[in-house]
Amino acid sequence: MDSKAVKDAVFQQVVAESNLANARVLIEACVLQKIQENCFEKCITKPGGSISSGEQSCATACMEKYMNAWNHVNSAYITRARQEGAGTQ
Amino acid sequence: MSLSQSPLDGLNLEALNDQDKAEIRQFLSKQQQRSQIQAQTHQLTQVCWTKCVPGAVKSGKLDKTEETCLANCVNRFMDLNLLTVKHLQNMRS
Repeated sequence: MDSKAVKDAVFQQVVAESNLANARVLIEACVLQKIQENCFEKCITKPGGSISSGEQSCATACMEKYMNAWNHVNSAYITRARQEGAGTQ
Repeated sequence: MSLSQSPLDGLNLEALNDQDKAEIRQFLSKQQQRSQIQAQTHQLTQVCWTKCVPGAVKSGKLDKTEETCLANCVNRFMDLNLLTVKHLQNMRS
C-alpha cells in the first residue's frame, strides 16, 4: 500500500468510528438523557396515574425547544470560539 | 474510541510520507475539535436551558427573549471561564 492509500484508509476509518460507531451513540444517548431529565422536570410536575394529554403536549414542545436551544447554543459557542481564536493569534 | 483494536492495525503506517502524515495530523485535530465543541455544547445547553427557559414550556420554538438569553449565557459563561483561568494563573504566580 502506498502512502495515499494508507492516508485515505486512516481518514475513512476515523470518520467511520467517530461518526457512527462511538460518538453518535454517545451523543444520542447524551441528548436523550438531557432532554428526558429537563423535560420531565418541566412537564411532569405532579406524576399522576397515567400521562395526561397536557403533559404529552408539554413534553413534545419541550423536546423541540431543547433541540432548538442546543442548536442555538452551538452556533453561539462556535461564533465565540472563533472570535477567541482570532483574538489570540 | 479504542484505536488499539481498530482495523487501523492492519495498515502499514510506515508507508506514509511526511506530507500525508501532516495531513492526517491536521485531520485528526479537526475531528477532535469537532467532538470537543459538541461536548461543550451539551454542557452549555444544560446550563443555559436552566437559566433561560425557567417557566413552563408553551411552545417548541424559542422566543426572541430566550434566544438572546441563550446567546448571552454562552458568552458570559466564556467570560467567566477566561476570568477563572486568569485568576488561577494569578494565584499560582
